[in-house]
Amino acid sequence: MTTPPVARDRRPARAPARLGFTEPDAGQRLADLGWWDGDDAVPAAALVVWALARAADPDLALTAVERLRESLGEAWSELEEALRVDQGLRGRLFGVLGGSTALGDHLINQPERWRLLRTVLAPGRVHDTSRMPSAEDRCRTHLDAVGADADADAPVANVTGPSAVELLRLAWRDDVLLLAAADLQSVCEPELPFWPVDAISGQLADVAAAGLEAALAVARAEVGAERVADVRLGVIGMGKCGGRELNYVSDIDVIFLHEGPADAATRLASTMMRVATEAFLEVDANLRPEGRQGQLTRTLDGHVSYYQRWARTWEFQALLKARPVAGDLELGREYCEALAPMVWSAAERDDFVADVRAMRKRVEDHIRHDVADRELKLGRGGLRDVEFAVQLLQLVHGRGDESLRGQNTLETLAALGEGGYIGRDDAANLAASYRFLRMLEHRVQLQRLRRTHLFPSDDDTAGLRWLARAAKLRADGRRDAVGVLQAERSRTTVRVRRLHEKLFYRPLLESVAKVAGSDLVLTEESATRRLAALGWSSPSGALKHVAALTAGTSRAARIQRALLPVLLDQLGHTADPDHGLLAYRKVSEALADTPWFLALLRDEGLAADRLMYVLGTSRWVAEMMPRSPEVLRLLGGDGPTAELVARDPAEVAQSLRAAVARHTDPRSAGNVARSLRRVELLRVACADLLGLTDVASVCRALTGVWAAVLQAALDAAIRERAGDTPAPATIAIIGMGRLGGGELGYGSDADVVAVCEPTEGATDQEATSYARGVVESAIAALGAPSPDPALEVDTKLRPEGRSGPLVRTLSSYADYLRRWAQTWECQALLRARPVAGDEALGQRFTEMIAPYRYPEGGLPDEQATEIRRMKARVDAERLPRGADRALHTKLGTGGLADVEWTVQLLQLQHAAAVPELRTPSTLDALEALQAADLLSASDAAELAAGWTTATRARGIATLVRGKPTDQLPRSGRELAGIASALGFPEDDPGECVDEYRRVTRHARAVVDRVFSAV
Amino acid sequence: MDRQQEFVLRTLDERDIRFVRLWFTDVLGYLKSVAIAPAELEGAFAEGIGFDGSSIEGFSRVYESDMVAKPDPSTFQVLPWEDADGDHYSARMLCDITMPDGSPSWADPRHVLRRALSRAAEAGFTCYVHPEIEFYLLRDLPDDGTPPVPADTGGYFDQASHDIAPHFRRRCIDSLEAMGISVEFSHHEGGPGQQEIDLRYADALTMADNIMTFRYLVKEVAITQGVRASFMPKPFTQHPGSAMHTHVSLFEGDQNAFHDAAEPYELSKTGKAFVAGVLRHAREMSAVTNQFVNSYKRLVVGGEAPTAVCWGHANRSALVRVPMYSPGKASSRRVEVRSLDSAANPYLAYAVILGAGLKGIAEGYELPPAAEDNVWSLTEGERRAMGYQTLPQNLDGALQAFEQSDLMAEILGEHVYDFFLRNKRSEWDAYRRNVTPYELATYLPTL
Repeated sequence: MTTPPVARDRRPARAPARLGFTEPDAGQRLADLGWWDGDDAVPAAALVVWALARAADPDLALTAVERLRESLGEAWSELEEALRVDQGLRGRLFGVLGGSTALGDHLINQPERWRLLRTVLAPGRVHDTSRMPSAEDRCRTHLDAVGADADADAPVANVTGPSAVELLRLAWRDDVLLLAAADLQSVCEPELPFWPVDAISGQLADVAAAGLEAALAVARAEVGAERVADVRLGVIGMGKCGGRELNYVSDIDVIFLHEGPADAATRLASTMMRVATEAFLEVDANLRPEGRQGQLTRTLDGHVSYYQRWARTWEFQALLKARPVAGDLELGREYCEALAPMVWSAAERDDFVADVRAMRKRVEDHIRHDVADRELKLGRGGLRDVEFAVQLLQLVHGRGDESLRGQNTLETLAALGEGGYIGRDDAANLAASYRFLRMLEHRVQLQRLRRTHLFPSDDDTAGLRWLARAAKLRADGRRDAVGVLQAERSRTTVRVRRLHEKLFYRPLLESVAKVAGSDLVLTEESATRRLAALGWSSPSGALKHVAALTAGTSRAARIQRALLPVLLDQLGHTADPDHGLLAYRKVSEALADTPWFLALLRDEGLAADRLMYVLGTSRWVAEMMPRSPEVLRLLGGDGPTAELVARDPAEVAQSLRAAVARHTDPRSAGNVARSLRRVELLRVACADLLGLTDVASVCRALTGVWAAVLQAALDAAIRERAGDTPAPATIAIIGMGRLGGGELGYGSDADVVAVCEPTEGATDQEATSYARGVVESAIAALGAPSPDPALEVDTKLRPEGRSGPLVRTLSSYADYLRRWAQTWECQALLRARPVAGDEALGQRFTEMIAPYRYPEGGLPDEQATEIRRMKARVDAERLPRGADRALHTKLGTGGLADVEWTVQLLQLQHAAAVPELRTPSTLDALEALQAADLLSASDAAELAAGWTTATRARGIATLVRGKPTDQLPRSGRELAGIASALGFPEDDPGECVDEYRRVTRHARAVVDRVFSAV
Repeated sequence: MDRQQEFVLRTLDERDIRFVRLWFTDVLGYLKSVAIAPAELEGAFAEGIGFDGSSIEGFSRVYESDMVAKPDPSTFQVLPWEDADGDHYSARMLCDITMPDGSPSWADPRHVLRRALSRAAEAGFTCYVHPEIEFYLLRDLPDDGTPPVPADTGGYFDQASHDIAPHFRRRCIDSLEAMGISVEFSHHEGGPGQQEIDLRYADALTMADNIMTFRYLVKEVAITQGVRASFMPKPFTQHPGSAMHTHVSLFEGDQNAFHDAAEPYELSKTGKAFVAGVLRHAREMSAVTNQFVNSYKRLVVGGEAPTAVCWGHANRSALVRVPMYSPGKASSRRVEVRSLDSAANPYLAYAVILGAGLKGIAEGYELPPAAEDNVWSLTEGERRAMGYQTLPQNLDGALQAFEQSDLMAEILGEHVYDFFLRNKRSEWDAYRRNVTPYELATYLPTL
């Protein structure tokens, strides 16, 4: 809402604006009411004006007052006079007028109703704000309204049809008006008492019950009193009505039962539902046995036999709230007494745990579907979340403890705290949050008496301002009222969001850890039960880990006790929580003496959250993390510059090389190199699993660290070999394949060839013999057994393969190529890139091979055909036995080999003419091919997508499984982990497979067209 | 154990049923069955029945062939006749197929349709269909290539009195009703021995289940009457083929989303976009709606079957017909897709029709003008001038369109799409090699 600027020349308007009236003519209108004069309120009416100004929406209240005056006519003066002296009336009337347009309209249509809001109602009768009418009184009022005898066993109304509905509606509105008035009175008159939300919602449930009773009286009249004379009809309140925690606007959930003729009873029940729904609130009987399909009402025996035989766990959960509210209360009580024991024996049924899990999933489904962060009711951190969690604990623990068998959420929450099932403070805090959210919900519903649970949107300043004032929030010096409201709401939501941790896990932990002075009483058996219900496949093992982590009185054990509830909740959402917890225990033990470790997890929620995710998702990380736990420190970093994602591979290489150079002993040099590599691998793996980095960066980092290790090993071997004498040769290591292309994965070997060149005065013989020694010892050092991922060096791409010499001189290499070079060797050379050793020699090698890999004039046709045939043979033969072509990342449909062969063929054909194509990197080459119009933009994009998808899937599959793999699984826990790390929903990992196949099919279509037909 | 499962177990007990058949459908639409004893059913509900997926067309590869069939208790029905021993009944349930870890199998046609329906649900729609299923009653089913002999010589709507299986249709309908499948209408169709039975509308998944049951029941009833039934799309060169015209409607809550009183023919914008979607993707989905080599013998000019991609109101030559609106029946506004034949896999066929229609709605496709003329009477040139695409003329043409279609891959899932394509390619290749009686009759004497 925008406010027109206040006209400068109308001075009187400025002062009311100061009080909160924003309409420009407010001063004039207040003056017309006789409450304003010039710059200030008329002294006799000052209290009235101030009260009005405190209304949630002063402009709305002012307009409503004007309309009320108009509607009252002559009688206005009496109200006006009363307002000046009756503080209670001021609070209640203005509270309602500023807080609810719907109730304001009700009042304006029935202007005489204002008298109900007076403090002194009649001589001797005072509007007693400390006491609300009893449920019986309310019932009596409503029955009176339709002319039924409240003292009769089965009251019958003396009106029917639309006029009865109208009377019921008025009676309900009157009651709601009074309740809203009590609810909102302290907004305008802060000295008046404030009613807690549970009291109001309890009263609302009583009003609904009274309304149902009166609707039933009308129904009796409509169906015919004699026809229903033999019918006893009980109305059981369920849901919020049963729990005495109703909203202003909400469905009333009921179940019917009867004695006597069934058809008359059904008629009576359905008539009552219709009348009540038309008159005030929607009555919903779908919680009955068999739901919508079931009979509307049953006998008590019918209900009992249904629940004995057919009912499901959630139906018992619904029964937690059952309470007789109208009709034959005696019959209703019998119903509750007969069914209550069954609710508690439900927890002994075999499928109970499975059902509870399904229920939990339902809670979370609500979360997923409602991302709208304006929801007060649904969504994570909403009211429904609290209610379900409380009911779940009630079902799990209530069978052994009668004190937990209440209907009301807040009362049960308190009982769970009293009984030691959850922490007392947690119970109290959660109750406060619940009350606050309910209060906001009440306010937004009151405004128009609509069924809504939406918090105003961020740009709805008027709505936010109104809600903040209606919730009696005031500016606190730093923030205005709206700021306070938003801060308070987000604080509350965060608190509720952490409720699983508080309600489910903390008590578990305290019982396992046998915390001294704890008032929690969870037995081991119920703890196991709870964990199983939360999705752990081996709860007793998990409890053992928890016990080990929290044993003793050390500081570490204390911190673990505080941390674990959060961590367990996070692990509970991963693909493999049990394994993750074991890994966490190992990490904790490895870092037992490290001061920063627990502090980091305690103080940086993000680090803890991420650690649990990677441990519960990736066996590879779980395996490595205990050996290089310092990586944990990186997990807390956020944003694009955090070290977790932004470490420069060149810097890593530099520091690794420098560190190794400091060690003269080859073994300790090797250890240092390995541990630095491990840290870097872990860093990349974590960033990859968390989706914080892209495929290109992962490849770059993994290649960088491999090359650095290779360089360090070569340095060490040269130092060891040559000692102080000048070396007889310079050596260069040329990366081939993925290493050359800068595309290494987590499990890749390094393909290399080595060349040397004699130094001044040395013979070729001396040079090669020396170089072979150096390279052999470097390879051996790298291949030394270690618990880390292996460092396999593969040299089979050298001339003459395994039977050729390990190292050649540059000139011998050139000779070989000149005489013998085959097409496949030229193709392999496309990816050659010097990665270690003498840079100048590497450079000369690169120049030497250029004419072979970028043949002048392109590739002769017969050689292109040879490559195509070779590829066809690879397709047919190379796939391992039992592999699934569709999901094989390397050799499968549209996988790495498909894309790379296509790119390489195009490079051989065009790189001589188009220098930009001269790159060992597949993705760079694709970009250059598109830029040179050798591929269409869409073809290049499909190929790049296929390559990237296959590379990422291969990396993630390796991380999840814990060892190198080229094959994606089709189902199972591994696939679930892979799907989650790739960002797919957990419940159907088939979607991840489908997407993979779609992308690679597209890539394959391009390969078929481009590779086979160029 | 939930209520429906207990109901099943109780019924088995009360009716002394000795066998329960667990049914599922392979990718090509063949019904598969595993019979188990009632004692094993409890376990089957909890864990499903493991089976070797590699021996089912299109399910999985040899080395990872473990799959699980999970009976859906809501589909439980007692079969309407005694077992061979004469005094016991058996029952059947349809199954969902899952992987051993319990996640759904993307090879299961039921899952394909479930996914299509849940996409519709995300857009706020429920999908109702009712098919008109045609088939032939024959004296026997020769498998050596000799032409079959119809069971009667009746024609359209004939009350054939010298019928050798006089009670066939009544028995069929009784059996169907006994299995909870409601029949709306049945009559003799145009060809000798050809029957049509129309089912009362149901949601698409239930209807696909019903069609699988229908085919089985009809064949069984025919046997009891001494004849045979066939759903082959076109068993006779000179008589009409067997179609499965399907009426489709979408509902938003209890409102028919195809109905809008303000539009001409009371077909809403949503309905128009749906039809436009079906038309635009008609060629791509031919391979699914008309999946056999033989299917394309039905789709020829002059028969009752559509050959051009167009729509009309009373136009029986159109691919999609929007039936005349019956005033005051908002809920019955629907469109009729006329390309399907009786041998289609109903799960996949309904999934692609729904998917194409939803695509039309999502992207707001424009519906081309209705075809007023009888499209069969137009010349090839006229048809081209009016912009009507021709439906594929054989399986090869259909596969070429199918292979180019991302939409089909999306609807069917990559697994089914890939299998279907490979399987149908080899069907076409096998067919292509054959020298047909037509060729012999035409060429042998003259060349």
